[in-house]
Amino acid sequence: MLWVDKYRPKTLDKVIVHQDVAQNLQKLVSEGDCPHLLFYGPSGSGKKTLIMALLRQIFGPSADKVKVENKIWKVDVSFSLNFFFFSFRMQAGTRTIDVELTTLSSTHHVELNPSDAGFQDRYVVQEIIKEMAKNRPIDTKGKKGFKVLVLNEVDKLSREAQHSLRRTMEKYSASCRLILCSNSSSKVTEAVRSRCLNVRINAPMEEEIVNVLEFIAKKEGLQIPQGFAARIAEKSNRNLRRAVLTFEACRVQQYPFTNNQAIPPMDWEQYVSEIASDIMKEQSPKRLFEVRGKLYELLTNCIPPEIILKRLLFELLKKLDSELKHEVSNWAAHYEHRMRLGQKSIFHLEAFVAKFMSIYKSFLVSTFG
Amino acid sequence: MSDIRKWFMKQHDKGTGNGSVSKNNATEKPSPGSPKPENVVQEGQETAGRRKTSKYFATDKVKAKEEKVEEVQAKRKAQDAGGNLSVNEKPPAAKRIHKAEDDDFVLPPSAAGPRDVTPSKKSVSGSGRGSARKNMISDDSDDDLKNKKSDLKPAGRGRGGRAAQTGGKIVPPDESDDDASASKDTKPGGRGRGGKGPSAAPSGGRGRGGGGRGGFMNFGERKDPPHKGEKEVPEGAPDCLAGLTFVISGTLDSLEREEAEDLIKRHGGRVTGSVSKKTNYLLCDEDIEGRKSSKAKELGTAFLTEDGLFEMIRSSKKSKSATQPESKKSVDTVVSSAKRNSQNTGDGTGSTATKILAAKHLAPGASPAKSNASPAKSGASPAKRKSQAKESLLPWTEKYRPKAIVDIIGNKSLVEQIQRWLESWDEHFLKAASKGKGKKQNDSGAKKAVLLSGMPGIGKTTSAKVVSQMLGFQTIEVNASDSRGKADSKIEKGIGGSTANSIKELVSNESLSANIGRSHHQKTVLIMDEVDGMSAGDRGGVADLIASIKISKIPIICICNDRYSQKLKSLVNYCLPIVFRKPTKQQMAKRLKQVANAEGIQVNEIALEELAERVGGDMRMALNQLQYMSLSMSVIQYDDIRQRLLSSSKDEDISPFKAVEKLFDFNAKNLKIDQRIDLSMSDPDLVPLLVQENYLNYKPSSAGKDDSGLKRMSLIAHAADSIANSDLINVQIRRYQQWQLSPAGCLSSCIIPASLLHGQRQTLEQGERNFNRFGGWLGKNSTMGKNYRILEDLHVHLLASRESYLGRANLRLDYFTLLAKKLTDPLKVLPKDEAVENVVDFMDSYSISQDDFDNIVEISKFKGHPNLLDGVQPAVKAALTKAYNKGSKSRVIRTADLITLPGIKKAPKKRIAAMLEPLDETVAEENGEELAEDEENSSETEDIDVEKKLQSDLQSLSSRGIQVNMDLKGAGSSGGKKPSAGRGRGSSNSRDKGSAESSGKRGGRGSGAGAKRKR
Repeated sequence: MLWVDKYRPKTLDKVIVHQDVAQNLQKLVSEGDCPHLLFYGPSGSGKKTLIMALLRQIFGPSADKVKVENKIWKVDVSFSLNFFFFSFRMQAGTRTIDVELTTLSSTHHVELNPSDAGFQDRYVVQEIIKEMAKNRPIDTKGKKGFKVLVLNEVDKLSREAQHSLRRTMEKYSASCRLILCSNSSSKVTEAVRSRCLNVRINAPMEEEIVNVLEFIAKKEGLQIPQGFAARIAEKSNRNLRRAVLTFEACRVQQYPFTNNQAIPPMDWEQYVSEIASDIMKEQSPKRLFEVRGKLYELLTNCIPPEIILKRLLFELLKKLDSELKHEVSNWAAHYEHRMRLGQKSIFHLEAFVAKFMSIYKSFLVSTFG
Repeated sequence: MSDIRKWFMKQHDKGTGNGSVSKNNATEKPSPGSPKPENVVQEGQETAGRRKTSKYFATDKVKAKEEKVEEVQAKRKAQDAGGNLSVNEKPPAAKRIHKAEDDDFVLPPSAAGPRDVTPSKKSVSGSGRGSARKNMISDDSDDDLKNKKSDLKPAGRGRGGRAAQTGGKIVPPDESDDDASASKDTKPGGRGRGGKGPSAAPSGGRGRGGGGRGGFMNFGERKDPPHKGEKEVPEGAPDCLAGLTFVISGTLDSLEREEAEDLIKRHGGRVTGSVSKKTNYLLCDEDIEGRKSSKAKELGTAFLTEDGLFEMIRSSKKSKSATQPESKKSVDTVVSSAKRNSQNTGDGTGSTATKILAAKHLAPGASPAKSNASPAKSGASPAKRKSQAKESLLPWTEKYRPKAIVDIIGNKSLVEQIQRWLESWDEHFLKAASKGKGKKQNDSGAKKAVLLSGMPGIGKTTSAKVVSQMLGFQTIEVNASDSRGKADSKIEKGIGGSTANSIKELVSNESLSANIGRSHHQKTVLIMDEVDGMSAGDRGGVADLIASIKISKIPIICICNDRYSQKLKSLVNYCLPIVFRKPTKQQMAKRLKQVANAEGIQVNEIALEELAERVGGDMRMALNQLQYMSLSMSVIQYDDIRQRLLSSSKDEDISPFKAVEKLFDFNAKNLKIDQRIDLSMSDPDLVPLLVQENYLNYKPSSAGKDDSGLKRMSLIAHAADSIANSDLINVQIRRYQQWQLSPAGCLSSCIIPASLLHGQRQTLEQGERNFNRFGGWLGKNSTMGKNYRILEDLHVHLLASRESYLGRANLRLDYFTLLAKKLTDPLKVLPKDEAVENVVDFMDSYSISQDDFDNIVEISKFKGHPNLLDGVQPAVKAALTKAYNKGSKSRVIRTADLITLPGIKKAPKKRIAAMLEPLDETVAEENGEELAEDEENSSETEDIDVEKKLQSDLQSLSSRGIQVNMDLKGAGSSGGKKPSAGRGRGSSNSRDKGSAESSGKRGGRGSGAGAKRKR
């Protein structure tokens, strides 16, 4: 088992990083009830760990007994819609559409990822969540009269779906609590946010990460040289999960740690930085074409386009003269925004690279002639 | 006028001065001061570098022809009482002056030339085309400034210059009536080049001879005519080319191949594909040394240039033309304005070349007056038509349906084959059966049925009927309008109940066919028409038909359009396949001509051939079209047919590749916006993808000089931005049905990038072919989708292991590197057994299956990076697989199983990835219980062996501490209680045998699955 899972705190008391949040949560549910919750914070800060610990706190060990189901829901769509995609056509009129969704459920809670349904997420919220929320759990001992729905990646929900969500939250508040989990609260609509208790989970400080790594090292009986943990923490970009994973990767790579041991980067990060140096070396249609191929490679390897763009910008900025940084960042933001509006992310990535090449080339020409 | 150009011309003058034709003129060297036009002309002919061809052009045949024309000319001259000298400039034959650089065409020497020196001069000067003259006029009437400007352009061939010069010499200057001439010129359709001088220049400058026609870049494709659209296409008497056969070869001077074909056909000529003895002319503008020209030389076929063709057509017209005064007038104006122009441009240099070039776009005037005397459409006698009025109520397709075998067009041998088959049917099947031999025969009679196939309207049904009738068979036709479902065996439906039953009855009853009583020997044949149309309504139709064929005692003829249709796959085996082909257009035209004659319509065969070609061999459609046209006209011209059928064939598919090529073509800036929209709309899904894939390959012609590539890069950035915009628009269109945005979408996806970057295509990779690639997005997107599904599967497995709650994106981003390392590194470094054990343990802890293992390796593979499995010994890999399969006993969770629910109607497919039984729980979970019962339901019909096996499985399970509540004895008892029951689990069939076997040994859930499969 990976350390990141092995040393994941199971209960709220054992939490190392966000102890204050954990304590508050513990108090919050001590009454046996809780409001709707919205956990938000960057990836790898411990949202999911806290949520699971919270569920355990509320429901006891039975929250652990989960099963995974991949169900296809049949949803009647009573109004006309007409989506054309290359292979997928849907006629106007009343139709039954299939929504496939993976759920993770115990007797007391259901966890799902509505944004997996893509543009059909609205039906997930309208129909499926409603149905789940309606059903009050049969509780023999008369204990908890509510069920918890954990929704992941709420920020990726479409606007329509979020609008549908707010009604659900109010209407079924008697029988169900929603725990929303998202990376950014800004992509969650105001209406939804105001219906929840917002819990901000910060990215852990580097010292905290170092603490965690040392804790793990102690448990595993490893010797870590001075500053090694700090280097990992720095490299992890304040992402605890990544730090722990990297730590273990180092362990796999070479055990008696040496102080100057190279910290292996993530495979895709390495690839992105290669792309960045390609771009910096040459700005030509030929190079752009090669970069397109590499971007495709990343995309087909399931790296989200937003992450690619962000990382690419990061790598480019590292190598860039400061006077260009503003402009390049501006364009990156521009294309990221449009990438989210659009559908074919490669177009936008390529447009950004082309723009960058154009800017950088003219900069080079004007500076060096 | 560049010096180089001048030099060029002089060089040629000198170099070719000793040409055979120009010998008589050789003495008249052009002196800078006093241009001698005819000299240049003759030399020009020589410079053509096509002496070979020109030799052929001078063959007697042509001469004879030209002589005839000349007679016409002479007559006309006589009529011309005005005696204006300029009239004499009328060219008797095609004649061209050309620029030195344009040295690759050949003219038929004018008949006048050899005859008389003086007329030759005149004829040369008059060789201008109407189009050019028209240009000049429009220039004049527009503004002189423009005129001057375009005069200076060195484009094209210096034809007009001759006119100007000679005109200046012969005709007294008459500069007064420029405007008058402009207004008088009422000729329609002159393709003026006025004002387009600058744009025409580059195209004119493309010397074909110099460029080398066989350059590999252009291999296999015909170039555009160098003077495309610059000449006025003449109109002549409708049948002036009647009886002549042409072959077109190479690139013509101003016409596209299709246009030329059209022109010839319109005037009654015939165009064939290859040279034969019947060919009268080989139409070509350059000697390309191809097969056609060598064959033509061999056969002594006359060569003809485009201008020669024009002249032939035009002269036919002239002979009829009655508008002499007007033509004279226009000649006058041409001369005068030409003179003026030469004054404008002859700015002291006085060089011949300058003048010629300068005036070149001036029309060498004096084209034949082109009164729009369209052929009289008097035509057929009304009386005859009236007499037929009654009959013509019947559609012609019925009226002229072939009554005898000879009437059937084309497919003669096939019809005979059917005939033979029908004739011998009785012997083969009835007699043979009675003899009880049943020996196999290999000829066409060996099958009891035939299957006629072919496209609609080529006479399949007709053939079948006619043949049967001729052989005295009684035909019973069953087609799509009859119900052809499976015969019902129930007695109450009766024989008459459905057609199918009667067919059954028919085919199985020999008495019906052999001796149906009264008539002596009335035989029957069953024609099953449109068998590929057997569809939902005809359940079991094809199968029943096959059954019928097997027992049939009468011949059966099946008819279909598509022999390769999926539905007919089984039928084909029982039938003798006969594939009907399209009749040739000549065959069709012949028959159509018969029909037309019978109906009293005047139409020539060329027009009918065109009709036959346009309908694509569909005789029925041809007849229908003809009938329709006969309603409004009694004389049908070639043009009428073209016009009528143009609309149907106009939108014929332009492939997305072609569209992109055109959009990005070097000359794409000449495209109109409408054309661009049409091109990009030709496939609104694919064209943008092709554009996106290929726009980087084009070297923008608009960037001009661009050493650093900076301009190109910024254009690319602009184009990429526009393409990104189109994605946003596309989302609006597709997701929110904002279809009104589609023009904007095509603008930003195709037209803007194309207009920014159009130019020459370059290759970006070594060894890449210089053609547009197919859009990569589709493939990449589907790979991405596949990988996401794989990732989701893996994600579910990981979740099911209950060790992790991570999201899918994080799985890829954060976990993957380590997972891959954990899975592959030990295999590389550790000793085999230890490594395998290590990895299998790890896989088990996260419930990663063997497939997942491969998928992880696959998804974390980057092009250019070493494969993770490199360095892993195959033996180790094999050991891993073995160890994994062996260890499957201890696994609680297996890969997702795909099952369908029995019982409930239209049960939704359900994939249950994993069901977890808590190890420490004494009471089974509610859900677990339910599931357990489900399984029991699904296995309730199993035989006792399996139950026993399950029992033992259960025991082994409980020994491992996994408790499953399973009541095996209650087989069938609880089945009815739970409507929701039936959530059994079974592996999908696609899973391999190995896993099927091993699943029997699996945990509780797996046992159900395994057992179920055995059942």
